[in-house]
Amino acid sequence: MATRESGRIRDVEKKRVLDDLTRRRRARKALEALEQDNFHEDPHADLVMSKKIPKFNNSLDNPRKKGRKSRGADYYRIKYRKTFQQLLEEDRQLNADGPNYSTAQAPETNYPQRHFCAVCGFPSSYTCVSCGTRFCCLKCQATHQDTRCLKFVS
Amino acid sequence: MEKICCIDNGACNIKIGNITDEKPLVIPNCIMKAKSEKRRPFIGNQIDECRDISGIFYILGFTKGYITNWEVQKNIYDYIFSTEFPVNFSDTKLIITEPLFNFPIIQEAMIEIFFEEYDCISLTKTTAPDLCQYQYTNTQDPDEPPLCCVVIDVGYSFSHIVPFVKGKKVLSAIRRIDIGGKLLTNHLKEVISYRFLNVMDESFVINQMKEDSCFVSQDFNADMAMAKKKYPENKTIREYVLPDCTTIRRGYLQTPGTAKKGDDYQVIRLNNERFTVPELLFHPSDLGINQMGIAEATVDAINACPEETRPHLYANIIVMGGSSKFPGIRNRLQKDIRSMAPEIFTVSVSIPDDDPLTYAWYGSQFLANDPEFDNLSISRQDYEENGVRGVLNENDAQ
Ligand SMILES: [Zn+2]
Ligand SMILES: [Zn+2]
Repeated sequence: MATRESGRIRDVEKKRVLDDLTRRRRARKALEALEQDNFHEDPHADLVMSKKIPKFNNSLDNPRKKGRKSRGADYYRIKYRKTFQQLLEEDRQLNADGPNYSTAQAPETNYPQRHFCAVCGFPSSYTCVSCGTRFCCLKCQATHQDTRCLKFVS
Repeated sequence: MEKICCIDNGACNIKIGNITDEKPLVIPNCIMKAKSEKRRPFIGNQIDECRDISGIFYILGFTKGYITNWEVQKNIYDYIFSTEFPVNFSDTKLIITEPLFNFPIIQEAMIEIFFEEYDCISLTKTTAPDLCQYQYTNTQDPDEPPLCCVVIDVGYSFSHIVPFVKGKKVLSAIRRIDIGGKLLTNHLKEVISYRFLNVMDESFVINQMKEDSCFVSQDFNADMAMAKKKYPENKTIREYVLPDCTTIRRGYLQTPGTAKKGDDYQVIRLNNERFTVPELLFHPSDLGINQMGIAEATVDAINACPEETRPHLYANIIVMGGSSKFPGIRNRLQKDIRSMAPEIFTVSVSIPDDDPLTYAWYGSQFLANDPEFDNLSISRQDYEENGVRGVLNENDAQ
């Protein structure tokens, strides 16, 4: 068992090893993916009709009273459509000392990092030499190398 | 007779009703598109009319818990105010929730839209934890209402720990953890897709799977050991029957081997996924997010409050929010906070018996009866005289 494992590790060492920066970029991308609303494309994106759905004041069931004139979709779109990043930047400048969104972020944990196998989810004691991903056994290591490891690195 | 309507404007669900109503309506705060229905989008709970719920595409007005797309949000409001919960704005005062530390420009947009587009007569902005605080303090022992409390709001975009002293938020002690229901669903989706079957397009279904299958572990190492065993010694393992578009409308959990001959449904075997997913609320670092979990952050938040308030805070911890519905969450919080808190303090964590999702909404009746209510509100006259910037500055000063 022990010899087979070190044999494998020798094999791995000949392969490409990801540098720290790439590893961190990968980790950040993985976290960003968890923020997404959708993984797939809009199924109606190719349809012309869907373009007219989210509009401001031409919706048929707008319950606003007669008399007061709507400022219209463009007014609000231009005035208020800021990305989250822009809002955050602005807030940091206007209210640098807080308390604000940035200062409210929970601090780093005082508990030691736990490690889990990226393949099966059980506690892991090994790290992939090439990319830093955790695995728990030879079987999971093989799965990792066959499916992910360096597959998505250009 | 003037009515008061409360809109708890969550990023995932809107909870709406007149404050005297028995319960609020809960409506998904999004527009959905289905692969199978090319003719129409589904706004809010219209999704109930959609037969094939596979590959649902979401359009949300929120980014990271804050409204960034008013076109989408306004469309959903129009639908709700006209169809699902008709509001006559000329005789209804509105209470509406916004996220903690809401950005000024978003507050402006909200005020402007409600006064300009809906012609409302009065708008009161608050937050869900504030409403929760009202509901909690007013429904405890009336002879000795709590002076302080800590709200743990486990939401869709994030979770917040919010200490209150005599009804006021201790702003500098609020803690945000960037884990909420959306991230948990996406993580489960990722894990299932890698281990079993590609479900990356199925947020809607996997969100239901999460709600139906996941629980908070009381002893993580013991549960891991249990999950390592083979069925039937393994008491954690279950099969999740996936919905099809004909007979099974919503998926469900069953013990392995329940399938009878002739059943042709598709199942996914769930094991450690059932508790490692909610575990992220307690250990964001398991996923590489370098933040305290909700129990540790609660202790950190309380430590940031004046010393004399701490015994009161520890004794009045309340959990709310749509993503606090995992079985076992209260007991785990109680156990973890107890182990981290100074021994001399009593620790008491509670969770609403009925529904942590709508709990905050009920607090609106107590806010409306607060002698300060009129001061907290923006009236049409205020708005007309001072403009949106003016009322915002006035409101901020309170
Ligand atoms: Zn493994
Ligand atoms: Zn690797």
